[in-house]
Amino acid sequence: MNKKSWLRDMKAIPFLLPFFIAYVIFTIFPIFKGLEMSLYDWSLVRKLDFVGLENYQEMFTDPHFWHTLWNTTLFVILTTPTMVFLALGLALFANMRTKLQTFLRSAYFLPSILSVAVISFVVIFMLQPYSGFVNTVLHSIGIETELYWLTDKVLAWITIVVVTLWWTVGFNMVLFLAALQDIPESLYEASEIDGASRWEQFRHITLPQLMPIGRVIVLLQILASYKVFAQILLITGGGPGGATRPLIQYIYEVGFRQNNLGYAATMSYALFFILLILSIIQLKAQRTEER
Amino acid sequence: MVKKWLTVLLGLVLASFVLAACSDDKTGGKGSDVEIPEGATEVVMWNLFGGGDAEYMQEIVDKFNESQSDIFINNIQQEYEEYYTKLLTSIASGKGPDLAISHIHVLPELVNQGLLQDLDPLAKDVDVSWDEYTPNILEATIYDDKHYAVPIDTHAQIFYYNNKLVKDAGLLKDDGTLKMEETPEGFRNFLTSLKKKLPENKYPMAFSTAGLDTYRLWWTFYTQLGGEHILTDDLENPEYALDLDKAIKAAEYLKSLYYEDKVIPLNLQDFYSEFQSQNAATISTGVWATGIWETTDDLEFTAMPVPNIFDQKGAWGNSHTFVIPYYEDADPEIQKAALEFMEFATDEGAIWAKAGHVPAKETVVNSEEFKELPYRSDYAQVAEYVNFEDRNIYSRGLRDIVMRNLDMIWTDEVSPEEAFKAIEKEVKDLIGG
Repeated sequence: MNKKSWLRDMKAIPFLLPFFIAYVIFTIFPIFKGLEMSLYDWSLVRKLDFVGLENYQEMFTDPHFWHTLWNTTLFVILTTPTMVFLALGLALFANMRTKLQTFLRSAYFLPSILSVAVISFVVIFMLQPYSGFVNTVLHSIGIETELYWLTDKVLAWITIVVVTLWWTVGFNMVLFLAALQDIPESLYEASEIDGASRWEQFRHITLPQLMPIGRVIVLLQILASYKVFAQILLITGGGPGGATRPLIQYIYEVGFRQNNLGYAATMSYALFFILLILSIIQLKAQRTEER
Repeated sequence: MVKKWLTVLLGLVLASFVLAACSDDKTGGKGSDVEIPEGATEVVMWNLFGGGDAEYMQEIVDKFNESQSDIFINNIQQEYEEYYTKLLTSIASGKGPDLAISHIHVLPELVNQGLLQDLDPLAKDVDVSWDEYTPNILEATIYDDKHYAVPIDTHAQIFYYNNKLVKDAGLLKDDGTLKMEETPEGFRNFLTSLKKKLPENKYPMAFSTAGLDTYRLWWTFYTQLGGEHILTDDLENPEYALDLDKAIKAAEYLKSLYYEDKVIPLNLQDFYSEFQSQNAATISTGVWATGIWETTDDLEFTAMPVPNIFDQKGAWGNSHTFVIPYYEDADPEIQKAALEFMEFATDEGAIWAKAGHVPAKETVVNSEEFKELPYRSDYAQVAEYVNFEDRNIYSRGLRDIVMRNLDMIWTDEVSPEEAFKAIEKEVKDLIGG
């Protein structure tokens, strides 16, 4: 490195420093603090006794940990593929050259702007049995059964998945849309001259070009879905009877309502570890493919 | 074109963030934009109230602030859901309020963590009239023979009925009371005859099939059967003490009202509005609903204690109290000022009673002002026999566990036997671990 470039790099430091400090305080430090906490009996208010790996032992035999982890995994399995394909479909649709283009784009993306409290309230309001909008519509078309959207195990899951799709799919769509627009027009023109059909264009140009962003979206979606919490807490409260309770809600209950931050930190670490492994697998797979 | 569109979109998102950040956050503790009169001692108070409760507490605070110029109570309303988490952590880090509200079942946790100021040393300078409080409630605020809180009220689960609907069904006596025998069968018969005689689109009883209210009604029946606890009285090391037979009997009775007699529609999301809009003839919930019903047009109702249908008088109850957080460097002047406000506020219990609560001071309950309020005196007697939720350092976690498992009974997922088996295991894990 010559002196000039070293000087130039130095100039960047004052600009980077504020972010770096914030990053250390709010991200790096809590990660290590959390590790320390997981080795202690730690209440909301103070550090109690050092318990070593006891919290980890407890975790492996705790049925609620496994149950809520399974619930979360189920949510990931249900949402990730639908979320990715739906986003792709919507992006293709919104990318078509029609007069509705702008409208479609805004319409698909707008729900993402709403806060979780708002969407949850709307959903609870619409899905009430007896008098809610959805059931009233169903009754009017001849379906007599009263559907308990929020208090039946299966329907509660459907509700949460559909709501999450509606609420967040717009973000993935925007990513796909941006990638779609990066595909050089010349590729399509050349293929047209070669007589390729629409479907062939899609299969051999669009899809391969979208693969890199697709992988990123899958990874981001898995990470986001594993962290599901707020909409479930607000819509079903984890009910009926814990059937939709995700891991983060359990961590929250143990930490803040049962006053056991040590064990809550332990479970947070387990989740961190799971997400880390999934990310590594994903990145490895990507690299092998690219070779 | 594309870039332009993306820019607009990004702009929109950013704008929404900025708007969200700008929205006035008044919950931030000290430093909110209230003007404090010169020379007055500011006491920052946190409360967890919402709706009518919040308004009446503010009315008391305003009255106090206007009554003198030495002390200014800065009343800050906090989100109920996060209230205790915020209170515990903020006191521990020395940044909490000078005065706070706590439910009576959370007191042991606060005392045990060393977060509360013992009020007795302060009470020497401020004239606190301990003997004016209902003994039942006052007792529950004393730990190690020290007063840790000033009780504000008792709020219990009670029962309301719609005069017109019940009368039309022919189940109202001439004196306005119910044609109902206070026995398990009597209560059941009352609801089933309501079901037969009400118009088709009206329900006998509005009630939820999950959550806090069902937990409270189960507790009410459990204590009427003679059940006393889930955990023993020991503050720090309680033992599991659920009376299984009674717990199951109470749960089976409540469950049969949904599934056998079908007098309560399943899974009502907002059962308050069903009673308020006169779709339901009866409802059971906390006393705080009185304030809501009375301000509803055309709703003619009567309030009464939950019918004592089993052997003993019993009802779920809780109580709001004032507490002073403990800080090593606390200013005794502020703490005394806080205590003076507590004394004032409890004397003004008649204002607080407008929300529906039964004031904690017997002097207020016996006052003309309170007696003149409609409905309240019909159920004020409940305060004498309510059964508070178990009070110990695990009470918040305990309630979560019991509530979640009871919900499985009401949704017919498991039998009461299975639910209580799960409760026993989880609760023992909670208190043992």
